[in-house]
Amino acid sequence: MQPFDLVRAPDQRTAVAEGAASHTAQQGASVRFLAGGTTLVDLMKLGVERPGRVVDINRLGLDDIHKQANGDLFIGATARNSDLAHHPLVRGSYSALSQAILAGASTQLRNAATTAGNLLQRTRCMYFRDLASACNKRAPGSGCPAIAGTNRMLAILGTSKACIATNPSDMAVAMMVYDAVVHIQGVAGDRQIPLMDFYVLPGERPDIENVLEPGDLVTHVTLSSPSTGERSTYLKLRDRASYEFALVSAAVAITLANGAIASARFALGGIGTRPWRVTEAERALVGQAPSDKVFRNAAEICLRGARPQGQNGFKIELARRCIVHAFKQITQ
Amino acid sequence: MSEPLAAPSITEIGKARTRNDGPLKVTGTARYASDHSFPNMLYAVPVGATIAKGKIKTIDTSRARQMPGVRAVLKRGDLIPISRITPSFGDALMLDEPRPPFDDDIIRYYGQYVALAVADTFEEAKAAADAVAVSYAAETPNVDPHLVAEETKVVSERGDAKKAYAAAPITIDAHYAISPETHNPIETHATVAVWDGDELTLYETSQGVVNHRNVLADMLGLPRHKVRVIAKFIGSGFGSKLWPWSQSPLAAAAAIKLGRPIKLVLSRPMMFHSVGHRPRIEQRVRLGGSADGRLMSLQHDYVNATSILDDYEENCGEATPHMYSVPNLGVTSGLAKRNIGTPTSMRGPGAVPGLFATESAMDELAIKLGLDPVELRLINEPQLDEGLGVPFSSRHLKECVTLGAGKFGWSKRTSPVASMKRDGATVGWGMATCSWLAARLDCTASIELRDDGTARVASASQDIGTGTYTVMAQMVAEMLGIAIERVEVAIGDSRLPMGTVSGGSMLTASLVGPISAAIAAAGEALLGLAVADQNTPFSGAKAKELQFRQGRIEAQNGNRPTMIFDEVLRGLKISAVSGQGSGEGSFGAQGKPKFSSHSFGAHFAEVTWQPDIARLRVSRVVSVFDAGRILNPMTARNQIEGAIVMGIGMALFEGTEYDTVSGAPVNASLADYVVATNADVPALDVHFIEYPDFNLNALGARGVGEIGLAGTAAALTSAIYHATGVRIRELPLRIEQLL
Amino acid sequence: MTDLGENIVATDDPGYGRLTVTLKVNGQEREVLIDPRMTLLDCLREVLRLIGTKKGCDHGQCGACTIHINGRRVNSCLALAAAHVGDEIVTIEGLGVPGRLHPMQAAFLENDAYQCGYCTSGQIMSAVALLREPCGMSDDDVREFMSGNICRCGAYPNIVKAIQRARRALRGS
Repeated sequence: MQPFDLVRAPDQRTAVAEGAASHTAQQGASVRFLAGGTTLVDLMKLGVERPGRVVDINRLGLDDIHKQANGDLFIGATARNSDLAHHPLVRGSYSALSQAILAGASTQLRNAATTAGNLLQRTRCMYFRDLASACNKRAPGSGCPAIAGTNRMLAILGTSKACIATNPSDMAVAMMVYDAVVHIQGVAGDRQIPLMDFYVLPGERPDIENVLEPGDLVTHVTLSSPSTGERSTYLKLRDRASYEFALVSAAVAITLANGAIASARFALGGIGTRPWRVTEAERALVGQAPSDKVFRNAAEICLRGARPQGQNGFKIELARRCIVHAFKQITQ
Repeated sequence: MSEPLAAPSITEIGKARTRNDGPLKVTGTARYASDHSFPNMLYAVPVGATIAKGKIKTIDTSRARQMPGVRAVLKRGDLIPISRITPSFGDALMLDEPRPPFDDDIIRYYGQYVALAVADTFEEAKAAADAVAVSYAAETPNVDPHLVAEETKVVSERGDAKKAYAAAPITIDAHYAISPETHNPIETHATVAVWDGDELTLYETSQGVVNHRNVLADMLGLPRHKVRVIAKFIGSGFGSKLWPWSQSPLAAAAAIKLGRPIKLVLSRPMMFHSVGHRPRIEQRVRLGGSADGRLMSLQHDYVNATSILDDYEENCGEATPHMYSVPNLGVTSGLAKRNIGTPTSMRGPGAVPGLFATESAMDELAIKLGLDPVELRLINEPQLDEGLGVPFSSRHLKECVTLGAGKFGWSKRTSPVASMKRDGATVGWGMATCSWLAARLDCTASIELRDDGTARVASASQDIGTGTYTVMAQMVAEMLGIAIERVEVAIGDSRLPMGTVSGGSMLTASLVGPISAAIAAAGEALLGLAVADQNTPFSGAKAKELQFRQGRIEAQNGNRPTMIFDEVLRGLKISAVSGQGSGEGSFGAQGKPKFSSHSFGAHFAEVTWQPDIARLRVSRVVSVFDAGRILNPMTARNQIEGAIVMGIGMALFEGTEYDTVSGAPVNASLADYVVATNADVPALDVHFIEYPDFNLNALGARGVGEIGLAGTAAALTSAIYHATGVRIRELPLRIEQLL
Repeated sequence: MTDLGENIVATDDPGYGRLTVTLKVNGQEREVLIDPRMTLLDCLREVLRLIGTKKGCDHGQCGACTIHINGRRVNSCLALAAAHVGDEIVTIEGLGVPGRLHPMQAAFLENDAYQCGYCTSGQIMSAVALLREPCGMSDDDVREFMSGNICRCGAYPNIVKAIQRARRALRGS
């Protein structure tokens, strides 16, 4: 690990000012916020993250979870994943979110990991995590050995010739389905970014993963108020029964009226360079009576443009089955 | 004449006893190798090659050496000479990779050590190791998983297997493969080396402290009595800690060079590079059978990958010649060199992967014949070891099979694929049989009988989680007729009487004779003292009149009182008397043995398959073993269950993947190399049928560390076939094969 | 540089960048002088000589390093020691000693819920925390809750048994 200064931010404004000293908030940042540390410390040990300054933001009081006056759910940036998953408001009205969080990692990790940390977690690509390996995400232009190498766990959606790294978050997939908005305090003031617009596709610059700028401190995430009668679930498919990243996962939410689908939202995890939600696929469900065929059709639309790699082409069929099964679970 | 003492009613053998080292383990007070620290100790972190084939061009340690806290960055030429020794299993001088670290500038596998950073703290040493700049002349490594033997040799043959195969009405010809597996004990290999200018003490993660001492002493050019290896507690090893690996002499040489204690703990990725693994194995099994299910021909051919320098042989054909009755048999083996670290024994080396192939082929034959796979095994049960032409020491495989089938409910099985359902999912039932060798190694133990009624048993052996501390205490307690709390067990120190390795499931069996002999020797010594001393009731007695039995001196004809050993000692005013005993090994003995000694078993497995989400889970396993006398059913059952868990991993999850370009094991972590979690393991139902094998030792005890893994993968793939119609011939299963 | 207030101050020796940090471990305040890079795991083991907590992977992938921070179980290998000033840290040593075992330690002993013992501290720390978590009563619930602790010896069935028996005993009392 590189040596670094560890400082504890006394307030948000100072944290933002600290962060602003870095030339980037993306790969290669020289200043990093420390919340749960489950991504940052992990990657600092590998040398993938090399901040010279680490700003502890755990005591800024950003951990509250409550229902706002407008009905939206307020989720503090440093609220622990386990607190979020077990919160009565979340279990009651955002079931897919609770399930998604609990499907990820382990209790120990969920007890330390935070909301913003989870959204910002980095890919698990083995080449990204190995400094001895070339990697366009770590060093743009150096190459992507995954494309011709071991890629069973990597992405088929949102990939580019430069990068096929999967976004591994479960929580982000569910949050996307609940129209999450990311609230940021930055150098120039506050702003809100819908989660759908938060992540950036790798393209030719896989080192840029999201829209955060130096100094940007995620303060909280809001979820739109739940629809009445909405049912949701999170289905995670993986090789072993627990403590593993997804091969494919799906967060699905649906409301029915008179035996037909009144509204539907769904997103895929484990298969895209970002959580994958395609609103056209959702629109195809509205007005239809629930059936395997209808769900499969929506899956096809969502999976349009999927580019299988050498070892992960099976994810296409697995994703279809995942979507169909998840929707069936909440419509039967 | 005094009242005869009531016969002691201590029955420890066969008792389900909690472990005597349990309190240490549950409180975190058991000390493992890396738990030791010493004044002035430095931390060492090795630098591993980031290519798998080529040459070192330059090693630039200048930046690393200037970093804070760094005391040395050592490379080739900086250490005392470390010699290459000639391995010899029989002389307790065994290792699988004799090449000393830093021996030359040639790189032959990814992660091969090229430098060692030594600093005041682990963080500083790690940062320095990362700062060492090595340039290589890299070549394309060969990590091709497709194995072709450079040459093959005949392992066993009888009759004319090819001719009989050609004439057989029903045949099976199938290829089976097993991905490389990495042991991954939770405790990584570690050495804490302490050099005082004259003697070297190594706190090691070792399954064989005497062997380790011998190897290290000879490699470092030190007299053996000046080297001591201590391993009181080991975080398991599954074979990876049997023999020394190169980080050990590296740490020791650094300690000698720098004159300070060195702590070297491998990182988890290093566990995939340089401390052995079960190599990739490709096997072919050809069965020829008659229409009524009799085997007429069996051919088992296999190749395993090995490293460039070392010919490690995975003896897959070990069980093949004796498992089944078949008059025509041929087993051949071969090696294929690759740019990989030297492989080593991994739990059940040889027979475990071998049985995956032969038992899978038997399952395929049963299906082709339309026979129940249980029936096929029973039909082909041999009456003797047809390979050696000698009777089995003790074989009750048929009983394991029929008992297991009964407990599992096998008669309810409907054979068509996917014909059994439960709760909307498809259920698959499969089975397999297995065996594992039963043998002894040369071993010595000593006993000290004390005047306070306690006894100390000592042997330079190890407990790697197998329960050695406890079963040794149980043996002594019963043999001496004392409460188990009064038995002190000393193991894990090469200075103790020469024990043997925790390997091959042989340690317990090896200790029985020596412990018994040591007690007899101590008793004889006590007798000698008693008859010579005027103040004891035995004064002047002739040797034949008295005997030492169950901790007591007693007169054959009852004309003297019976006295327990501690009473005698107190009467003699002697604090302790000791004795040593040795036992001769049976493993690897020359010539034809009188008996074929193995344990046997049968697994019955149930998998649950949900095709709509391609979810496969193991839902139930029933296993029955004929493993001789079970000294402690609690620890024995735990061992078997643990091995079945490893078998679930072997079949469903585990496989080290080498990148074809870099030759690196890319999934070198516990996240990417997938082992079974708690949630993957259903209720396991393990039974022992106890037929003591007195040919092996006086207690009839065999070992149970490895047999639980044998046959498990085949039982699972048999069940998977039953559920899905897909025959998995390469492990691990990939669910995409079932889509 | 702005005054960062309640900040951790570097020591006199800027070349080493060591921090003086006071950690509350098993109810005791311990002052240590450490590299900011030092994890809580290494601090416990190498500086405080509390060797009961083990290192299995150093990357939060095995659970052997599980301890309690403010009553919750976490992986100490991913915690920076210097970032936990003011937190209540409990390790296996703080749970019980031979002769005075925590009921969960006793349950592990009675049910042979270990083999080599290396993952055992982490298993027990997880199991004790589980008692306060919303874990369902079935064996499957326990299996899932304990899946963040890898046991390569495979003592899972006995681990589940020990936990279930301890839970029943503690509920009954």
